[in-house]
Amino acid sequence: MKSEKNSIVVTDVYKTFNVYLDKSNTIKESLLSFLKRNRKEKRVVLNGINLKIKKGEAVALIGTNGSGKSTLLKLMTKIIFPNKGRIETHGKLTSLLELGAGFHPDFSGRENIYFNASIFGLTKKEIDKRIDAIIEFSELGSYIDNPVRTYSSGMYMRLAFSVAINVNAEILLVDEILSVGDQHFQEKCLNKMKELRNEGKTMVFVTHSMGQVKELCDRAIWLREGKIEMDGLPEEVITKYLEATT
Amino acid sequence: MNLFKNLYHYRELLKTSVKKDIRGKYKNSFLGVLWSFLNPLLQIGVYALVFPLIMKSSEANYTVFICCGLIPWTFFSQAINRAAFTMVENGNILKKVFFPREILPISVVTSELVNFVISTIIILGFVLGYGFGLTKYVVFYPLVLLVQYILLIGISFFVSSITVYLRDLQHFIGVVLQLLFYATPICYAASVIPSNFQWIMKYNPMSYIITSFRDIFYYQQSPNLQALAIVGCVGLLLCFVGYFIFSKLQKGFAEQL
Repeated sequence: MKSEKNSIVVTDVYKTFNVYLDKSNTIKESLLSFLKRNRKEKRVVLNGINLKIKKGEAVALIGTNGSGKSTLLKLMTKIIFPNKGRIETHGKLTSLLELGAGFHPDFSGRENIYFNASIFGLTKKEIDKRIDAIIEFSELGSYIDNPVRTYSSGMYMRLAFSVAINVNAEILLVDEILSVGDQHFQEKCLNKMKELRNEGKTMVFVTHSMGQVKELCDRAIWLREGKIEMDGLPEEVITKYLEATT
Repeated sequence: MNLFKNLYHYRELLKTSVKKDIRGKYKNSFLGVLWSFLNPLLQIGVYALVFPLIMKSSEANYTVFICCGLIPWTFFSQAINRAAFTMVENGNILKKVFFPREILPISVVTSELVNFVISTIIILGFVLGYGFGLTKYVVFYPLVLLVQYILLIGISFFVSSITVYLRDLQHFIGVVLQLLFYATPICYAASVIPSNFQWIMKYNPMSYIITSFRDIFYYQQSPNLQALAIVGCVGLLLCFVGYFIFSKLQKGFAEQL
């Protein structure tokens, strides 16, 4: 039980993608593609990642576009699987990668809360218990019973974010989403994140906002071309990272 | 076993997606849920009008006859067609959120099942309206339904996972279903098929299911329980093999979509 204190253990993970230059989607195309087979490229996205994230840590993954941050996050959620290596997670995990997954525009906000929360694996009872908190956090008020298609994009994101944040998972994976809604709501989200962090939740962020990293995280990991370039305190890593990229 | 654990844990997801599917389908149409009745009714109308004209039929009441075959068939073909499409349709969710993928085909088949149960009202309407009445054999209805459901779950595991890798299958399924439509005693009774083609009836599991529904409502006799049991076993086997293949293939879903 030595891994008890670790929320996420990534051991020697490699991930390559096959990039099909001409992915055939019709019968004609696929017949033709038999003639010019193998028009695909292997792209190494993660190249031997070893990582341990302790319970209660708030970790930021930083790096330039295409450095493998989001891929690593997707591997942690088990949406995709590594070619080599292992990823273990301990505890209930929520990914805030896609907000509003499963929303149906013709249903009311209230009904969509059930759709959305059930994707995260909540039962009806659990949702019933949280629904008031979710509605309150979203600040949608009486709009909650209107169909979601009538919402502005800001309202939509607010509702989606409120569901995701209230799922009450032990591990939160967040991909570049703290830019939801207006200034007021963003601050509210940030505060909620801090609150969750102080409650001892494990968090992994992918972000380009260095300000948020400094404010929220106690550890930063810099990914470069599929490898860990640096791992340490946010201040130090960010300074090095900014030096290298500018 | 993992399947049942997942299903139990994510039961709310299964429930909401079935609900979303059924109620969302007609949400913005003028006639709303009425379409679930109107659609099959109109279809029966077309067949009842056309087939007696081109085909000599010895059936006492062709309208009731076709109705008992066509509605279960619609359940079958819709479920397979939609299961084949469900992964592609939900691609952007699959790429972003983790949840047991098998929920998707199962919820498609289940919502079609609910649709079918609702459409059974049409069968009842015709059977009662034409004075056939109902007999005690109606008790077999849930049994036949269950067998068809199991069979469909099994098939849906195959088609939903394989189409992700082979999109062509989607088009192919349409053709196969059309062929199967004529290879199943829907517009005709199995007995009119010449003996050298009877093997088609024998090896087509759907022919037993359609015939069973017809036994219950039209001929008003006990369905062939032994045949149903065999079809049920075939369905279970398909579920096992299908789930095995599904769980192997699902790891690559997010990358393929």
